[in-house]
Amino acid sequence: MPLFRKLLIANRGEIAVRVARTARALGIPTVAVYSEADRGAVHARACDEAVGIGPAEARLSYLSFERLLSAAKQTGADAIHPGYGFLSQNGDFADACRDAGLVFVGPPGDVHRTMGDKKGARRLMAAAGVPVVPGYDGDDQQDATLAAAAASVGFPLIIKPSRGGGGKGMRVVHRIDDFAAALASCRREAKGAFGDDTMVLERFVQRPRHIEVQVLADGTGATLHLFERECSVQRRHQKVLEETPSPALTSVLRAELCAAGVAAARAAGYVNAGTVEFLLDPSGHFYFLEMNTRLQVEHPVTELVTGLDLVRLQLEIAAGRPLSMGQAEIRSQGHALEARLYAEDPSNDDLPSAGPVLVCAMPEGPGLRVDTGIARGSEVSVHYDPMLAKIVAFGRERAESIERLSDALARTAVLGLATNLGRLRTLVDHPEFRAGHLHTGFIEEHLGEVSPHPCAPPEAVAAALAALHVSRGRGPAAAGPAASVPDPFAALGAWRLS
Amino acid sequence: MIRLRCREQQHEAVVRESSQGLEVVVDGLVSRPDVEEIAPGSFVLREGTRVEGFHVARDGDAIHLFWRGAVYRLDEEREGQRGPAARHAEGGLEAPMPGKVIKVAVAPGDRVEKGAEVLVVEAMKMENALRAPKAGVVRSVAVKVGDMVAPGRVLVEIE
Repeated sequence: MPLFRKLLIANRGEIAVRVARTARALGIPTVAVYSEADRGAVHARACDEAVGIGPAEARLSYLSFERLLSAAKQTGADAIHPGYGFLSQNGDFADACRDAGLVFVGPPGDVHRTMGDKKGARRLMAAAGVPVVPGYDGDDQQDATLAAAAASVGFPLIIKPSRGGGGKGMRVVHRIDDFAAALASCRREAKGAFGDDTMVLERFVQRPRHIEVQVLADGTGATLHLFERECSVQRRHQKVLEETPSPALTSVLRAELCAAGVAAARAAGYVNAGTVEFLLDPSGHFYFLEMNTRLQVEHPVTELVTGLDLVRLQLEIAAGRPLSMGQAEIRSQGHALEARLYAEDPSNDDLPSAGPVLVCAMPEGPGLRVDTGIARGSEVSVHYDPMLAKIVAFGRERAESIERLSDALARTAVLGLATNLGRLRTLVDHPEFRAGHLHTGFIEEHLGEVSPHPCAPPEAVAAALAALHVSRGRGPAAAGPAASVPDPFAALGAWRLS
Repeated sequence: MIRLRCREQQHEAVVRESSQGLEVVVDGLVSRPDVEEIAPGSFVLREGTRVEGFHVARDGDAIHLFWRGAVYRLDEEREGQRGPAARHAEGGLEAPMPGKVIKVAVAPGDRVEKGAEVLVVEAMKMENALRAPKAGVVRSVAVKVGDMVAPGRVLVEIE
């Protein structure tokens, strides 16, 4: 008897494909949803059924409660997996699913709301004995009170909106003289973006590492951790490389951090899979940053070292099953390292890129896992998150997974649009990365300006032209866009060979 | 003749079938790449015992190339894009490369359809047909068979 009658996956791209794989293995029929822009997308053919849910604009499709709930009703689904992003941390959507008689695969609505409020989450964690960054999270939000609090917190400090994220309404302030103006502009931004200008102040931790703890809790209150992940290599608050175990932790520090993660989840009344994020400062102190009340993008590294399937565990918990294992049975073996492949253009300030996927060659080999939502013929649009795939390597130890990932990235080819592949290779091969000397400013410190790509060597140009020549006349399968490919040489124009 | 631009660098290339197989000339360097397509857009190049995998795909005028772990974009420059665009709009047909005129298919006063063969210029032992950029009447023909022409020179005007 499968856990659910039918599972609707309220997401797109690689995570929708990944969730569908586990559901299929568990014998649960699946439903994909797709916007008009995603009609031909890989995820829309990864499930047993696929339902169109409206226009490309996410607000009217992937973020529409009404469209998603009616797709579930139409197909007879009894559970909804939100993936990550979109509605995955929306407490009101979790409630709406429950009210519609559907199981939301994730924690209940009030847990999302509690942890989505930085002020409340900080206080809850402090009360539970989880270390928080020294700061101010009081209810008195008058400018004068915040200015006085800022003076006692010390500089540099960071002003953060209590609700919201993505760097909006956030400022690092270095001197008391700049505080009033920074606060005013944070308030304006937060009010505009999140409709709330409540602020918290935190001491700015210099050169921190980002280390997070994967937690798992069932409906009976049993709460476990699945060790940590280090995600210090980031770009504009967006993670780029993630690994486990972290090269920064001693076994004592690891035990403390994981225990803090479990304490945080318990304090939140957490149910299902979640992640407690911490900052680790250079002196070895860690502080609660926030809790992500959903599956994380980087969950595969945890799966590789523990041998567990997090989506399966999520589904079991959502179906009301108690956890079938104890903490002592969860072991981490080896090392796993994930690289996020983004559609972004390093020569254009890392802005998202778009275009047709003309070639998509993903690496294979020992210790490799690739989660992807694109294939040859896919169209990458600017409507959605630019992450295309996750390339994950597993090894006996860190050096081996780095070696495997480095080789895998050198064999990964996505043609037709700009990607960060070159960047990923530079990062993974960087001596400071290999040495494990990481912090959240790693990319800014070590990569700096991207040197313009050199021109193709003449032998490569010759091979390319020969390749286009030999593939000509093979119809739609020839080396060109998947559909309606003209003779590749016809496009050479008036000066073609005759 | 194919003109390619890879960043600021220009390449001139010719691809032809010869008695010894496929011949590619890039910037005057002749090679005979042994290339096989193993999947759409994916190829293997063989050179002696060496085997090299690579990927190529075309999207309009852009050729996307994956070669030894790096991605390159080569843009094909059509004759209309390098300054003489205006002249083309007026129906001027210019030599794409240095070469010898081996055939003149039209005379002043002739009506030509768009795409009709107007001249044939031989360069690097390759014959290249120059075709009418638009339909119209030939106003002037500035060359005769056997003339050597320089790139950019207007050979035929069509109005």
